[in-house]
Amino acid sequence: MAVAWIGNREASLEQAVEQAASLLKASRCPVFTLDTDIHGTRAAIALAEQVGGAYDVAGGEVMARETALYTDKGGIFADASETRRRADVIVVVGSLPDYAWPLIAELAETVPDLSPSNIRRFFVIGDVDNLPPNSGTATNLSCGSSGLGATLAALRAKFAKRKTAAPVENFDQFAAALAESRFPVFLFSGKGCDLLEMEMLQGLVSDLNLKSRASALHLPASESGWGSMFASGWMTGFPPRTGFGSGHPEYDRWRFDVARMIEAGEADVHVWVAGRPDAPAPSHAGPSLIALAKTPEAVPGAAVTIAVGTPGIDHDAVVFTYRTGTFRTVDATEPSEAPAAASILRSIAEVITPGVPLPC
Amino acid sequence: MLTRITGGEIIDPANGRAGIGDVWIEDEKIVDPPQSGQADRVFDASGCILMAGAIDIHSHIGGGNVNTARLLLPEQHKAHLPRPDATPLSNAGWSTFQTGCLYAKMGFTTVIEPAMPPGSALHTHLELADIPIIDKGALAILGNDDFLLSMIRDNASSQAIDDYVTWTVASSRALGVKVINAGGSMAFRENVRTFSFDDVVPSYGITSRQIVKTLQASVNRLGIPHPLHVHCNNLGVPGAPDTAAETMSAAEGLPLHLAHLQFYGYAKEGKRDFASAAAQLAHVVNTTPEVTIDVGQVMFGQTVTISSDEMRQFFARVSASPRKSVIYDWDGNGGGIVPYRYRPDYYGAVQWAIGLELFLLIDDPWRVFFTTDHPNGAPFTAYPELFELLMSRDRRAEVIAELPRSAMKHSTLPTLAREYTFEEIAIMTRAAPARLLGFADRGHLGAGALADVAVYRRDASIAKMLGSAALVFKNGDLVVKDGEITHYRWGKALRVNPPVEATMKRRLDEYHQSRYGLSLDWFDFPDSAIHREQPFGEVPCRT
Ligand SMILES: [Zn+2]
Repeated sequence: MAVAWIGNREASLEQAVEQAASLLKASRCPVFTLDTDIHGTRAAIALAEQVGGAYDVAGGEVMARETALYTDKGGIFADASETRRRADVIVVVGSLPDYAWPLIAELAETVPDLSPSNIRRFFVIGDVDNLPPNSGTATNLSCGSSGLGATLAALRAKFAKRKTAAPVENFDQFAAALAESRFPVFLFSGKGCDLLEMEMLQGLVSDLNLKSRASALHLPASESGWGSMFASGWMTGFPPRTGFGSGHPEYDRWRFDVARMIEAGEADVHVWVAGRPDAPAPSHAGPSLIALAKTPEAVPGAAVTIAVGTPGIDHDAVVFTYRTGTFRTVDATEPSEAPAAASILRSIAEVITPGVPLPC
Repeated sequence: MLTRITGGEIIDPANGRAGIGDVWIEDEKIVDPPQSGQADRVFDASGCILMAGAIDIHSHIGGGNVNTARLLLPEQHKAHLPRPDATPLSNAGWSTFQTGCLYAKMGFTTVIEPAMPPGSALHTHLELADIPIIDKGALAILGNDDFLLSMIRDNASSQAIDDYVTWTVASSRALGVKVINAGGSMAFRENVRTFSFDDVVPSYGITSRQIVKTLQASVNRLGIPHPLHVHCNNLGVPGAPDTAAETMSAAEGLPLHLAHLQFYGYAKEGKRDFASAAAQLAHVVNTTPEVTIDVGQVMFGQTVTISSDEMRQFFARVSASPRKSVIYDWDGNGGGIVPYRYRPDYYGAVQWAIGLELFLLIDDPWRVFFTTDHPNGAPFTAYPELFELLMSRDRRAEVIAELPRSAMKHSTLPTLAREYTFEEIAIMTRAAPARLLGFADRGHLGAGALADVAVYRRDASIAKMLGSAALVFKNGDLVVKDGEITHYRWGKALRVNPPVEATMKRRLDEYHQSRYGLSLDWFDFPDSAIHREQPFGEVPCRT
């Protein structure tokens, strides 16, 4: 079975690696898009440094605003474990990632074991369709047809005993539940909230904490993206949307928005690292594409395609999981010969600067 | 390969050696001078001081909270970008790579991360593994976890407690155990807002003291070399000296280590209810021989506080500078990240003075450890300056002259004439940490030790001399020359590895299944997850 292609032509792995290396060597402005496990991310960032590139994660726009919540303001955050064990009120704020559905179902089926309350009540801000059908009855909180942000602002005002422009539907029920609650947790994601809405939510949580406890569970829109964010943090000091063009890492969420750099014609080589078989391949006419992807054939339009394994399926992996809010190892479920992205990235680096191994 | 470092002044208090002489290295280890007298390479160290590589016992260098601090403050590490370097990512501000390089340049060869949440041990170890050159280690946090607190409430046997501590230490690959505001995070989750040593954790009916005593006894019974590492209640609160003194007197003859004592040195006295209680605390330390402490010195400037003391960090939010912070209600301790600027105003000056008073008033350099609680009191890059303050009363006088006189009136510092000698520095940063952590193979220059050697060229400026080593060897490998990194090597994370009891593992699996809906596998990992050759080194427990 073919594992590498130069254009549409089958090639040996060595030839494809050589070709990728020579494209990167000649590049003035290489960019990287990451959708991979932790070791794939580490190798990609190390290679980006070596070639003076910039990197972002797939779906970088959403993660950029999730990141901005931390870089601009911060907040009070719970993890999923503490939510399951302690939260007696759950408030779902806006649309959540699909992966979170089993958690919500589980929260509906269990009661908190670390709380003196032995019930769990559910509220929803935004669309009730966000809840899976088996999650029990949830009470909707809304401010007429105005959006999430307006509802959150109105709730904040109501709790601070300030006047609000419009009433919040079911507010009294919510206020009564919070008055009894020992540990309410608000679930949110950058998928369903923009930055101002996330900041407004944190403002509400902060207000509630003046007198009693409350917290928020951030469910990142992309687990793999959030894992890459962690690795990026310790390797460069910065989240993704970091570039090495000046010889040291610089973080700039506009300048190093890789999608923008491609669109604007700034990037001349694009390294796409994706192990998931369903990851949508980039389609752009601009930069030469080096695709490290789970694929049985050449990626259309790619200058170089190298087939890599899916983390946790073809090879063991370390991944971020929302479930514990940290990393875990996943054993390969169908171990195969397909190489890990990290090893291909290291081989490319070895061709570019022989004898100087990547530090990751 | 045989290496000879010749003509330097050797300071090796663990072996009682002081004076001009040679150090010989064969491969990774220090050896006695060979009969042949022939070396493959020779380094001239005349005009230099030679010590073993330094060991930092308490520095927050890696893990989830440190990484969140990076995320919270991208603007901060722009400020100190050094010039481009030949070693990959070493100029990435506040990266793991830069951490290893900056420590090595100062002659530090082993650094301990003191606060690893067992549930995210893999994250901590992934970061530690990306810190080049030096060896590392981490202390596992216990004492705000439901499993332990329930066992104490239910009068579990010592054996059961020990089995649980063993499992935690073994699965998280820890070097020892730390307790942080014991019971305080659990109490804060139930909206308790002040919490002292004899206060009761709601829902469990046990006191902070009981948690500390239980863990201290268990660590001791298990023969884990490093005594229980305690972060007391009431950190930073005026009146905390009483809490710290109570905790020390609770040692009751068994070893106990108190972290960053400076942060408990604030007497509720004077016009501002804020004065130095360092003399009182130093007296308690001097008269309690089973207790060791590290200082957590404050130095002026911008930093960020990183702590698993969630309650304390929650209240520190109001003084965040810049105005942003993260508080974590995580399973177990949780924590908080709050940026802070220490200003040379009344309060900052009192804090700065308290740390120095502790260093100078505690008599025994084997029991007081050199830390800034990086980055809580100051980044570790302030070490050279701190060495100078300890070794030069003139330098202290210069700084004191710039500070508010009212602050110095509430401190004994201006009256203290003591100056640390190189011998005492070598004890405090080499010999004593090795003893405290159970390292037989480092902290000294005797035959058989790992060849971790720091060579400093004498200079009128102590900060310059100790901040930029002339030569540093790690495991016999030359890693620093004239203050510059020559290349990377990958150190190990040092851990103890007590055997895990199968019944406890089954019990924990059931517990995790029922409480978290997850199997125990989610909370453990194979060494191969780290992707380094030999990521771990073992330190034996006492038998
Ligand atoms: Zn600390």
